[in-house]
Amino acid sequence: MVPAGAFLGLSAILFAIGLVGFLSRRNIILMLVSLEIMLNAVNVNFAAFGHHLLEERGQILALFVIAVAAAEAAIGLGLVIALTRNRPGVCIEHLTELKW
Amino acid sequence: MGTLAEQAAFYYLAAASIASAGLAITRSNPIHSMLWVLALFLHIAGIFVLVGAQFLAAVQVIVYAGAILVFYLFFVMLLDLPSETAGRRFGAHWPLAAAAGAAFAVFLARWHEPGLATPAPPAADVAPVPHVAAVGMALFTEFALPFEIVSLVLLVAIVGAVVVARRKTTS
Repeated sequence: MVPAGAFLGLSAILFAIGLVGFLSRRNIILMLVSLEIMLNAVNVNFAAFGHHLLEERGQILALFVIAVAAAEAAIGLGLVIALTRNRPGVCIEHLTELKW
Repeated sequence: MGTLAEQAAFYYLAAASIASAGLAITRSNPIHSMLWVLALFLHIAGIFVLVGAQFLAAVQVIVYAGAILVFYLFFVMLLDLPSETAGRRFGAHWPLAAAAGAAFAVFLARWHEPGLATPAPPAADVAPVPHVAAVGMALFTEFALPFEIVSLVLLVAIVGAVVVARRKTTS
C-alpha cells in the first residue's frame, strides 16, 4: 500500500515543475502545455484523495477538470492563431501592447 | 497486486512522470516537449490505474493524450516555427520563475503541520472500494447538473475558438 502522502508529494512536484515552466518559457504554446502539466498534477491529487477516502467523487472532479482543460486548450490555441496573424512568432516577449 | 509490486510500480511511475515533466519544460524543440508531455500523460494514466480510477485512466489516455495533445502537436506543426529552436528557451526573467517554484516548495514543506495533515481514511468495511459503476452512478445522479453544464462549457469553447481564430473580413 503506497501512502497517500507519496501521491500528494508527486502531485506537488509536478505542479511546481509546471509552475516554473509556465513562468519561464518564452513560447506561448509551451506555456499552455505547462498549464496542462499543472492540471494533471491536480488530477493526481483528486484521484489519490478519492482512493484514500474511499470516495468516487474525487474521480468525478478530475473528469470535470479534464473537460475544462479541453476547453482551455481550444480557446488558448485559438488566441495563439489570432496572435500569429499579426506578428511573426509565438514569443511572449513580442506582446508588449499593454506595457507602458 | 502484492504490496511490493504496487510500491515498485508507483515509484517507477512517479520517477518517470517527474523526469518527463522536467524534460518537457526544458527542451528547446517544441515537438520534443510535446512528446515528453505525452510520456507524462501516459505515466499519469498508470498512476490512475494504481489508485483504482480505471475510468479516469481511460479518459486520460483518450482525451488528454489522444485529443488535447494531438491538438497541440497539430498547432506546433501548423505554425511552423523554424526560429524557435535557435532562440533562447527561457525569458530573461527565469530566475524569478525558479524562485517562485522554490517558494512553492518551501510552502509545501509545511504539509505536516497540524490542521494541514491528510485526513484519516474511513473504516475499510463501511464503504465499498469505488469502481467504474459507482463513478457512473454518481456522475449521472448526483452530478447530473454539473455534467450538463460541462457540455455547455465545451460548446461555448468550440464557438469561442472559432470566433477568436476567424479571419476578420471587412465588408
